[in-house]
Amino acid sequence: MMVIRRKVGQAIRIRDDIRIVIHEIRHGVVRFGIEAPDDVAVHRLEVYEQIQQENKAAIQGDALAWLKARG
Amino acid sequence: MLATKTSITSNNHVREFTFPRGIAGFPGATRFAFIYEGKGNLLCLQSIDQPEAAFILAPWDTTRLGQVPTLSTEQYECLNITNAQGLRWFVVLNPFADKTWVTANLKAPIVICESEQTGLQYIRNQPQLHLRFKWMKQPQPACRA
Repeated sequence: MMVIRRKVGQAIRIRDDIRIVIHEIRHGVVRFGIEAPDDVAVHRLEVYEQIQQENKAAIQGDALAWLKARG
Repeated sequence: MLATKTSITSNNHVREFTFPRGIAGFPGATRFAFIYEGKGNLLCLQSIDQPEAAFILAPWDTTRLGQVPTLSTEQYECLNITNAQGLRWFVVLNPFADKTWVTANLKAPIVICESEQTGLQYIRNQPQLHLRFKWMKQPQPACRA
């Protein structure tokens, strides 16, 4: 993993079209802005991981068999 | 057609729906098909690329969930459309997590466009939304005489 030191007001550029700007660092919390093209989906990691896990949990059984058994 | 409620399944052929962004946790699965067992209003959305990824979907219920989310311009583009007409929303059910309840993931509903045969999983960031909302009771096993 690449680790970069940045101060408030400084930014990081990813590819030609994504810019991340540090807005504030206070009490161990970093606020930053992300400028990215509309086709780049940005999600909080913990939210996305929750959804990944729940999607996988939802297919732990045989969906068709469950539907049939539902009657 | 198997059901008048939906025109996304057919006896004669499988209609393929493209999810350009896949579904969270299944990045390689972009082609899906709906399978309908003909009972009730539940559908089975199965990946053509990863057949083990078969999700049970229930139609969005505005009475219980309120209005459907609003798509961004980019999400419209992802579905290859320009407005919300003809979109159908579903919640992903999990019948395997709880013995009493079938749960619904309210954080990540599925939206499909029938005319374009496209779809996406809409990620909602609101922390108050339930990952396992009690959607319906588990079906009772049939009694034996």
